[in-house]
Amino acid sequence: MIKLQNVTKTYKLGADDQVIALDDVSVEVAKGEFVFVVGPSGSGKSTFMKLLTREQLPDDGEIWVAGKNLASLRSWKVPMLRREIGYVFQDFKLLENKTVYENVAFALEVIGRPRREIDKRVPEVLELVGLEGKARSHPHELSGGQQQRVSVARAFVNYPRILLCDEPTGNLDPSTSVGVMKLLDRINRTGATVVMATHDQHIVDSMRRRVIELDDGHVVRDQSRGVYGYGG
Amino acid sequence: MTARWSYVIREAFVGLRRNLMMTFAVVLSVTVSLTLLGASLLLSEQVDLATDDWTGRVEVSIYLCDDRVCPAITPEQQEELRQDLEDQEVVAEVFYESKQDAYERFTSMFSDQESLIEAIDRDTLPASFRVRLENPNLFNVIADQFSNYPGVEEIVDQREVLNQFLRFTNVIRTAALVVAGIQLVAAGVLIANTIRVAAFARREQTGIMRLVGASNWYIRLPFVLEGVFAGLIGALVSWGLLWGTVPQVANSLSRDIELMPFIGEAQVIAVGPWLLLAGTGIAAVSSILALRRFLDI
Repeated sequence: MIKLQNVTKTYKLGADDQVIALDDVSVEVAKGEFVFVVGPSGSGKSTFMKLLTREQLPDDGEIWVAGKNLASLRSWKVPMLRREIGYVFQDFKLLENKTVYENVAFALEVIGRPRREIDKRVPEVLELVGLEGKARSHPHELSGGQQQRVSVARAFVNYPRILLCDEPTGNLDPSTSVGVMKLLDRINRTGATVVMATHDQHIVDSMRRRVIELDDGHVVRDQSRGVYGYGG
Repeated sequence: MTARWSYVIREAFVGLRRNLMMTFAVVLSVTVSLTLLGASLLLSEQVDLATDDWTGRVEVSIYLCDDRVCPAITPEQQEELRQDLEDQEVVAEVFYESKQDAYERFTSMFSDQESLIEAIDRDTLPASFRVRLENPNLFNVIADQFSNYPGVEEIVDQREVLNQFLRFTNVIRTAALVVAGIQLVAAGVLIANTIRVAAFARREQTGIMRLVGASNWYIRLPFVLEGVFAGLIGALVSWGLLWGTVPQVANSLSRDIELMPFIGEAQVIAVGPWLLLAGTGIAAVSSILALRRFLDI
């Protein structure tokens, strides 16, 4: 489902100054897997996620996502790639002037899905995340955990094959985080591949899923049923 | 398909409403530039109309001596001159204008300026042969051949008078076009800036759209439409302004100046589509350019 082969990504800071974000990284994620990407700030997690949605292109190496070679993917086909990927942000990124229902519907509306389909899918996915009673609320009326559930609903409403989560529990307290993780786990069990970048040691340790640890642009650990740190 | 278009149009109007002052500025600047553009286009129409009318009438005037500058022409000389003129191949038509005819033409031309008429004696204006040429450019042939005839005082190419007028109107038209062009560029820059502000104000929304896989045109079209709509309004207002003023100005001028035909409503209506095209075109181009850097994938 996701494959990185000898991927290198550097950022230019000046004329001859550069930062290596990812250095010769090779990773493969199979269909239906649940993967944590962990590591300290600046280890390359964000770059890793941005490469998968083709917000950025690598300097070297090949990336395959959902059967597409991102290096040779035409820019006008990038939207098609992103329709197969749901994206959950740390800061939710909900539109304040829209209701919960409208926020979720927005993701279908802007890819041109017909109204009938929108009216069928949005209630379905709101039920999945347990917010069917909050459809008419605005984001500011919800708790952080509820807002993140809306964000997950929006990411999943198009039934993407891949769900990318960038620190989804970063702004939540531990008990709320557990609820969001259960939701992600349930989505994973529907067959979606989930890749989650996180700092949250408790969550990684309690879930016991595959862990890819990045440090200074290198994969320093790739462990199935792993924990956050060494010796844990 | 209906869901798509309702989204695009709704978003465009949201942008226009949120940004009323900027929208107003855009409409105003498009209006000013297109009114100038329209005015200069209409001026060209007017010049063409007058030129067409005049070139058919332009003649060579051969003024005859009447003892004041040179010895008066004798009837025999006058008859010989007429014969020789009529024998010329380039001459289409010759007719004689007596002192009396010249005076009458003068008084009818300046009928509303009595002081001017009083200053002119019945005897002041010279008699002349007025010659229409097959090809007005062949003036020199006539001038060279007949200026030394006895009894000929002066040969005047009336096209020279027309040319002076044309040069004058050309300067005005070019100036109006240049100012309109500069204004149009300014309007384009203003539109680009407005659209950029609008896109920036909704960057959260467009960011989400990009990540859920909205196509480029779907993200950009509301903004482009926002610009085009403002441009369209500006074009319509300028069309209305021209429509409301130009026919009336032309009408009142035509009452004073009987020498030439004037443009009317038909020409103002005909210039409208060009204004709409220019207004929406400029708006579309500057909006797209403004978004190209801003909303890249």
